[in-house]
Amino acid sequence: MTSGPAGLVPKVKPLICPNCGGTIDLRGFGQTVNAICGSCQTVLDATTPSLAVLQQFPKRARVVPKIPLGSRGAWHGAPYEAIGFQVREITSGGELFQWAEYLLYNPYRGYRYLTEYDGHWNDVKTLRSTPQVISASVIRYNNADHKVFQNSVARTVFVLGEFPWQVRVGDPVTVRDYVRPPVMISSEQTGSEITWSLGEYVSGAAVWQAFNLKDKPPEVKGIFANQPSPYEGRIGRIWKTCAWLLVLLCLTMVMMALWSRNETVFDQKYAFDSARSGEASFVTPIFELKGHPSAVEVEVDTDLHNNWAGFNFALINEETGTAYDFGKEVSYYNGTDSDGSWSEGSSKASLTVPSVPAGRYYLRVEPEMDAKSGSAMFSTEAMHYEIKVKRDPPSLVFFMIAFFLLFIPPIYVTIKTFKFESRRWAESDFAPVSSSSSSGDDD
Amino acid sequence: MIRNPIYSLYGIMLLLTAGYGEYSGWSLTRVNEVKNVPRSVRDNPGAYRSVYSGYSHYSGGK
Repeated sequence: MTSGPAGLVPKVKPLICPNCGGTIDLRGFGQTVNAICGSCQTVLDATTPSLAVLQQFPKRARVVPKIPLGSRGAWHGAPYEAIGFQVREITSGGELFQWAEYLLYNPYRGYRYLTEYDGHWNDVKTLRSTPQVISASVIRYNNADHKVFQNSVARTVFVLGEFPWQVRVGDPVTVRDYVRPPVMISSEQTGSEITWSLGEYVSGAAVWQAFNLKDKPPEVKGIFANQPSPYEGRIGRIWKTCAWLLVLLCLTMVMMALWSRNETVFDQKYAFDSARSGEASFVTPIFELKGHPSAVEVEVDTDLHNNWAGFNFALINEETGTAYDFGKEVSYYNGTDSDGSWSEGSSKASLTVPSVPAGRYYLRVEPEMDAKSGSAMFSTEAMHYEIKVKRDPPSLVFFMIAFFLLFIPPIYVTIKTFKFESRRWAESDFAPVSSSSSSGDDD
Repeated sequence: MIRNPIYSLYGIMLLLTAGYGEYSGWSLTRVNEVKNVPRSVRDNPGAYRSVYSGYSHYSGGK
């Protein structure tokens, strides 16, 4: 890897820690303000020749940076070196959240930062222009609105390496984050000074590859504030496709309806008297079913009133002897009671026999009623009914099924999108949506 | 539709299936198919007994 125009690798400047005598490597050339001893973690003033001690700690737990200081990597097309590391924390909702920040330096391009929280990485640079504050919850930068996500006081709890600013453990800073995935704009206020920075979500794998790090990047947990949604933009696209498919479905349905034969091949009226003894079954005259194998609809229209009738049918091919047996009950009841008038059932019924080949057919019909029903009890001597047979009637059933099935993927994507956003904003102090479903971890 | 190839394919397969089902006369109705019904049924309908007993009698009313 080259580090400058001449391809020379800059050498670090070793110094001795006045507290513990440990060696301190300065990589930030003359820009380093504070340096932290890697051995005793004493904060030193790098602007003084004697490295004045600024902050000391009796005994501290050491945090090992995931990107070792001194690591060099090609980042944004230029070599950067990790020179500083700090751990910061905030308290939100009674919970403590800690994240790591890595200071990257290139002598020709300046500083950048990499931040990491629960496996989520952000590539951060300081903004030279101030975003426009639109409202208390929205700022605008590069003509894009960013929503406020979190407002907190962050404290530095661990530092290592060197920094071009005054850094102390315990220093508080008011942080306000605005998000528009994959971007997060943050303001850090100390006193009256506000620093704006822009972070862009990057994968841990990209960081690992850039800095040629060993093992694997830390496992990603949860959903980060500016983590891009895997469903971003998919809702609109999939619903648009759904609309096109629905148009196609309607066109196909109309075409098939127009194309269907819908031919009445038999229509006859009959009467049935249940009080009459003898064989009730009979056969109809032969009728012809033409065309390709298609449905046959048998419709029964009766004059039943507060009564029922059963029909056993057999659609029999006169030539082959193949019969299609089916049955249908027709019942119709109505009346008036304290709730008003009521009715149940229908005096009509129909049934569709699927995929009947062409041929000469007849129906065997066997009507059935209660013996007493057809007599004095219901003042009905006989039932009159009409049997109608239609060849290849238009049917909407499968188009209706397709209609509902078409909605499954867009609804699924919509639910997943909202669930993702719900989980994202569940971590926010300014959640615009319900976060009741935030506990899931299936993404 | 090009931007959602899998969903588009899924939708078109649904349309084709529904269209083919409509063309072929598919139905959700269950019927019993019986082979070799004797020709004598036309002369003596009572000699044939339907194997179907699919409807359930309801002597309803409020």
